[in-house]
Amino acid sequence: MTITLIRHQWRSFWRAKNSGKSLTIRIIMAVLILYLFSNLILLSFYLDKILESVFPDLNLISAFSACLLYYFLSDVLLRFQLQELPTLSVKPYLIQNIKRKQIINYLSLVSLASGFNLAPFVLTLPFLIKVILPQQGLPVFLGFLVSIAGLTFFNHFFSLWFKRKVNLNAWWMLAFVVSIGLFGLLDLKLHLLSINSFSSVIFKSFVQQPVLALFTILAALMMYRINFSFLNSNLYLDEMRSSSASSKSSTEIPFLNRFGKQGDLVANELKLIIRNKRPKSAIMMSFFFLFYGLLFYGNPKMGVGYGASIFCGMFMTGIFIINYGQFMFSWQSSHFDGLLVNKIGIEDFFKSKFLLFTIFSTINLILTIPYVYFGWNIILVHFIMYLWNMGVNTLLVLYFANRNYRRIDLSKSASFNWEGVGASQWILSIPLLVTPFVIFYPLDFLGYPEAGLAIIAVTGIAFIVTRPFWISKLVSEFNAKRYAIAEGFRND
Amino acid sequence: MIEIQNLKKVYSGVVVVNIPKLSIRKGETIGLVGNNGAGKTTLFRMMLDLIRCTSGQIISKEADVSKNDSWKNYTAAYLDEGFLIDYLTPEEYFYYIGSLHNLNKPEIDLQLEKFNDFFNAEILNKKKYIRDLSKGNQSKVGVAACLIQKPEVLMLDEPFANIDPSTQIRLKNMIREINREKHITTIISSHDLNHLTDVCERILLMEKGLIIKDMETNKNTLEELEDYFSVLQ
Repeated sequence: MTITLIRHQWRSFWRAKNSGKSLTIRIIMAVLILYLFSNLILLSFYLDKILESVFPDLNLISAFSACLLYYFLSDVLLRFQLQELPTLSVKPYLIQNIKRKQIINYLSLVSLASGFNLAPFVLTLPFLIKVILPQQGLPVFLGFLVSIAGLTFFNHFFSLWFKRKVNLNAWWMLAFVVSIGLFGLLDLKLHLLSINSFSSVIFKSFVQQPVLALFTILAALMMYRINFSFLNSNLYLDEMRSSSASSKSSTEIPFLNRFGKQGDLVANELKLIIRNKRPKSAIMMSFFFLFYGLLFYGNPKMGVGYGASIFCGMFMTGIFIINYGQFMFSWQSSHFDGLLVNKIGIEDFFKSKFLLFTIFSTINLILTIPYVYFGWNIILVHFIMYLWNMGVNTLLVLYFANRNYRRIDLSKSASFNWEGVGASQWILSIPLLVTPFVIFYPLDFLGYPEAGLAIIAVTGIAFIVTRPFWISKLVSEFNAKRYAIAEGFRND
Repeated sequence: MIEIQNLKKVYSGVVVVNIPKLSIRKGETIGLVGNNGAGKTTLFRMMLDLIRCTSGQIISKEADVSKNDSWKNYTAAYLDEGFLIDYLTPEEYFYYIGSLHNLNKPEIDLQLEKFNDFFNAEILNKKKYIRDLSKGNQSKVGVAACLIQKPEVLMLDEPFANIDPSTQIRLKNMIREINREKHITTIISSHDLNHLTDVCERILLMEKGLIIKDMETNKNTLEELEDYFSVLQ
């Protein structure tokens, strides 16, 4: 039975209307994932060197042991943010002649196929083979391997169980956050408690007595049972829904009223962003990009010349345009027919997009002002890139939006979600990322970097000034393509 | 009011809608019947310019709907949940639709009062998003959003499906009333022959994309339709 269910799942993946039918996209995805994992492998190969330099006065195994528990604690936090609950697909099976137990086992089994469960092994296995196996022998090596497997699966089922708990009752979340904060406070600030030495004690005991590692497996099995019995008693449609039905209030944004119909459209789109899981997490991620500058400016080796600030400036002021704009119109796929039939001028529709971009980019520009600490000219470059984003990148994104026919389900999380990703996103990224440098670097090479910046600024302003012309172009193109766009967004 | 000429929609060689000529007069209430796949929804979508006609044209108030947006000023339609913005509350959605027609909040509130019975206290002030409402209640939101626009043309695709019997009767009364008082041109599709013959003055019967019968409703119409549908089996 479980095999049949897995086969159905497999089919649903390949036959999904928008699962990216073209082979090239799948290949690019595979390459990207391989790249991520090869990074992890590279990191793990040098883990001994890294540990040596961070903990010079400890031997390798002690240092490794001390870190492991931290890793698994942060793993829980990360899973909590990113891991998806496998729920939705079981609905058609609940009323069939399939035992509850089988459905739950299937849910648990399928959920194991996740990068989170592979990462700990990729990260530690080379170290285990390189250091522990020759130094301590096979039993200790196996002991570590088993304990890492046990803790990984424990984390896996713990986070699944806990996420569902939180969905039913939000107080659990508060308790979780408070206890994590308390641990952090006790360990890092007050030094009353040391996860570090606790971790050492546990894993040192595995070095002496590898059999003890089986206790982690026991813990994982226990967690599996808890998750199992929880699901068993809560496998009802209304309780399994991933959104809790708390009361919703109507929010108003008075600031937008002065923009008339465009303002109304923007207000709706802001609600779209705030009230749906996927756009919300996409926006959250884009705020993390504001720390991008620290990476470059804080490190003199990387931040030579204007190149770095052009790059950072474009990303930090334009991340919303890039991150949200690349899926333009797809966000509204579920009510696109309504938009087309309603009394909305297409021009207003496009102008509202520009307004939305302007609001977010301006906020981001203001938020990057503290980078003045690294020099006032950085802010100047940020402002120039803001002009570039407003003039050129907005148009680019909307030009590609007219070519994007992929539906998006707003209720899914954004991380590792490829739904709606198509060729247009990949092609879009090329002109988006390359053009400013094509302008800047030749002039920089000739010794006129300021001229390069000036041309970028002037180009941006020129496109802002001529925007009405470009909007009319976009509108006529939209009118030619609207049937195809609406067709792609329709569910049936 | 609406003239359809030589309208055809072809999907990969199969003709799904084929209407050589159809004229709809102002103020008519038209019922559209036909089994699944007869082309009702496709016809609606072409009239709303949501899909491209393979050939022919639909003229509404002397303007081709696919070339000119002016029909949006006086046409309201609810075909399916794809017309609703599901992350808004019903109130927000009504205000939004109203604002598109330059109606302010108090005006909308005044209009919504008329729907108190129709809503049966399940729509307003519930602090729920539209996506959390049942299908029937979503359909109520869609129909009400059409009516507050004060349209001249109203199109509803299976409005009686999913809603409870009392609401079905209220909806029928509402349609009769707006037709009598405001002379709105109404096109409704339904599988419920009783309801349709009750409210519509004219019935169009579709089969495989063709309108095979176009009749004024009289006391024999229901029987005639029932005969047609039972013979098919």
